[in-house]
Amino acid sequence: MAMKTEPFVVNIGPQHPSTHGVFRMRLTLDGERIIDADMVIGYLHRSMEKLAEERSYTQNIPFTDRTDYVAAMTGNLAYVLAVEKLCGIEPPERAQWLRVIMSELQRFASHLMAVGVFANDCGTWQTPVMHMFREREKILDLFEMACGARLTTNYMRIGGVSRDVPPEFMPAAHKVIEELPKRMDEYENLLLENEIIIARSRGIGVLTPEVAIDCSLSGPMLRGSGVAWDIRKADPYCVYDKLEFDICVGTDGDAYDRFLVRLAEMRQSIHIVEQCLEMMPEGPVHSQITTATAQPGGAPSAPLAIRVPAGEAYGRIESPRGELGYYIVSDGGPAPYRFHIRSPSYINLTPLRDLAIGTTVADAIVILGSIDIIVGEIDR
Amino acid sequence: MEDTGSIVAFWLLAALTLGSALAVVVIRDLIRAVVLLITSFLGVAGLYITLSADFVAVVQVLIYVGAISVLLLFAVMLTPRASRDNAETFFQIPAILLTGLVAFTISLVSLDTDWTVVERGGFEETASAIGESLLDKYVLPFEMAAVLLLVAMLGAIVLVHPEGTEEE
Amino acid sequence: MPVLAKWYDLRDLGNAVGAFLDWIRDLGGPDWIPYVVSGLIGIVAILLWLLVSQLAFIWIERRVIGRMQARIGPNRVGPWGLLQPIADALKLLLKEAITNRYADKPLFWLGPVLIFIPALVVFAVIPFGEGMSLADLNVGVLFVIAITSINAIAIFISGWASNNKFALLGSMRAIAMLISYELVQAFALLGVVIFAGSMRLGDIVAWQSEFNTWMFLLQPLALVAFLIASAVEINRSPMDISEAESEIVAGYHTEYSGIKFGFFYAAEYFAAFAVSGVVVTLFLGGWTAWGLEEWVPGWLIFLSKLYLVFFLFIWTRGTLPRLRIDQLMAFSWKFLLELLFIHILVVGAQVLIWHEGDYPAEVVLPIFAVINWTLAVALIVGWATFMGHLSPERRAKRAVLTQELGAIYYRPADGHGDRPTRPLEEA
Repeated sequence: MAMKTEPFVVNIGPQHPSTHGVFRMRLTLDGERIIDADMVIGYLHRSMEKLAEERSYTQNIPFTDRTDYVAAMTGNLAYVLAVEKLCGIEPPERAQWLRVIMSELQRFASHLMAVGVFANDCGTWQTPVMHMFREREKILDLFEMACGARLTTNYMRIGGVSRDVPPEFMPAAHKVIEELPKRMDEYENLLLENEIIIARSRGIGVLTPEVAIDCSLSGPMLRGSGVAWDIRKADPYCVYDKLEFDICVGTDGDAYDRFLVRLAEMRQSIHIVEQCLEMMPEGPVHSQITTATAQPGGAPSAPLAIRVPAGEAYGRIESPRGELGYYIVSDGGPAPYRFHIRSPSYINLTPLRDLAIGTTVADAIVILGSIDIIVGEIDR
Repeated sequence: MEDTGSIVAFWLLAALTLGSALAVVVIRDLIRAVVLLITSFLGVAGLYITLSADFVAVVQVLIYVGAISVLLLFAVMLTPRASRDNAETFFQIPAILLTGLVAFTISLVSLDTDWTVVERGGFEETASAIGESLLDKYVLPFEMAAVLLLVAMLGAIVLVHPEGTEEE
Repeated sequence: MPVLAKWYDLRDLGNAVGAFLDWIRDLGGPDWIPYVVSGLIGIVAILLWLLVSQLAFIWIERRVIGRMQARIGPNRVGPWGLLQPIADALKLLLKEAITNRYADKPLFWLGPVLIFIPALVVFAVIPFGEGMSLADLNVGVLFVIAITSINAIAIFISGWASNNKFALLGSMRAIAMLISYELVQAFALLGVVIFAGSMRLGDIVAWQSEFNTWMFLLQPLALVAFLIASAVEINRSPMDISEAESEIVAGYHTEYSGIKFGFFYAAEYFAAFAVSGVVVTLFLGGWTAWGLEEWVPGWLIFLSKLYLVFFLFIWTRGTLPRLRIDQLMAFSWKFLLELLFIHILVVGAQVLIWHEGDYPAEVVLPIFAVINWTLAVALIVGWATFMGHLSPERRAKRAVLTQELGAIYYRPADGHGDRPTRPLEEA
């Protein structure tokens, strides 16, 4: 005897406490079970790719802050790497190290958000995320020291970074880095070992490595499925080849593993920053580029406008969310001819529908949380 | 039943019980009907209290208000939207006949009974008396009822359990 | 003046009220006057106490959770933010109470009213001190269970009447949960009733006082089960599934605003106080504390214990994540109930042995306590192992660290977790 039930459409989002921005899941439910799911995006579309075609290469850097607004540094880095590849610029040594420091700190800060919000999605009443904010604050203070901004840093420049870190940065960074491992122990004890988080996330949203690869996933999504893949190792940029760190992978491919991988990566980030702080040489932080508008005073600094030789280039990095790529086509003009962002958040969303179908509403929220999307990066 | 309080309480509770029972029948919206039915149950519980049957009153709240009505609410919720009102049915005439019969029997019995006033002083412990008689004198019917309920429950589970969904 | 003679004894409000009632009785007049007056005193006292406690605890909860969350908490309104609850209440009163156009208006209005009833009425049977209970019913324990079950209907009505999908989901969850946990609650209290031999809450307190023990020392499992069931009953974390804000916005009260929402908010506090009161009365000795009640007013002891239990609910809210509805139901049906069945069996046997053998309580009760504690631990661990909760698939693990680029560390999952792996092609 089968009971006849009416399917029931629920909109999770765009205004909802746990959609991480203005993302909308249109769930068709049978009771609590999801029988169909539609992902609706575009609520935060700002036409960045088109806008970038009207602005000079340097003017485009602030856009890259605003795609992934939780990890602005890595957004900057991917873009300037692409332009540098196109121009054939090799930034000075110190700038490379600073870039690595900043992107690892940024990864830590971004993963803090991801982990905290994931715990929120599992139902903690804001507590982990508040603790995460406490640590993130310290990293943002470091960013403020280095570039004056906390969230939209706009720190990287084509050919280096916007300015050298002030003298007080190094002791402050050392202090933060010494503190963080203790916090990491705390998080691992309280979150990873938490019975309820395990119950909520183990075995939920299982992605096999085949599916993950087929969906072109990257970052913790891919590594959570057990594939040891990291752009920092596979295609080292900046000075990652001089640094010692491990790739963190999960073994089950479920939401818990993605969560786990992020926590483990945070430790690796601390380790990388530690090495960088020790090994970073002195020197200029910006290479002199022949510029249209030279800066007065003669000190090497970022040009406002550069002309990039015609051609195309793809700069990719391991952003906190996965492979972040900027594909730039230049026709030799002052602005890019085509500016494309391969945003990991968007591509990581691919399997969400299939993961969500067959689970319950509560699971879908956990799965979405484990993907760690940034809507600014999805919609661009 | 000589003091005023009990009499006022009796009439109020009787009005509540019968009024909401009537409304259950008359009202169209099924959910509201269930809510009114709950009110009616509560009125009956109140009547039990005026009869010094505290245990029965509390059990009335526990079983009828707490469990049966929730069951009804569930049943209403699982009904397709189209049949969710108290629409006209084929059963109108048989239902009227049946109701009339029941009403006739009850009035006959109540008129025929030789009502006597039982002298009882205030509240007495009824719970332990009920418990003792259930597990002592009437243990067999009690156990049989329990087994019957268990069987009914299992039967219900077997009936609604869809085929091939062992692993849920 | 018999009143004045006893008014000195302010330690005990129960005495004072009793003296006042005697005085009224001496004035003459019909019998029902002292009866009604005593009822009124009780009701007004309970309501006043509830309001004050609620206002205090809104502040305390927000500050405590603020500390737990590494932030400060409200500190702007009044000294240390003490007036924050009043500001909150005013805000709720002044806000528009929106009624959604397609709501079932009478039921929408009834929901917040109805949700108050069980939370308030439970206090009628709770003894705040010696002789300080509004109506010490002889079926008190049953009354508590019966009245709190009305909660389910109030929640259902408000969720249904809102005509909102989140609200409907929330009320469905609430009802499913409440039905499952009512049994747990009843069985947890059954053990207490078997030991105390009475369903009157006053008698249970007296029993605990007589044998100088607290019930939770004798029946730890019942306390744990009852606390969990109560957390479900009052929608407190980690069982706040029916108002899970990260999933279904606010559950059954999504559509409520203004003071109607305030009613739900207040009722949640009242219900939390109510179950704390029941826990204190049944498991923590009520208003007695091993002779301390000779020196300190009983109601103060009772309230301190009640606030301590309430703090436990605040604490869990500040720390624990939320379970999924099916896990919570499974926990009730597949875990707690089984343990409670065994518990009831053991407790019944113990009482039988004690009464038949006529052993002295000083000898028997410590033995029972030891047996029940070991049994509780053994049962929980044993049953958890049996149900596979301790298997490696359900335990924490750490990420694999590797240098080997491109290697695949995926271990094919066979049947771990709750859901099978779905290959993408099936969709």
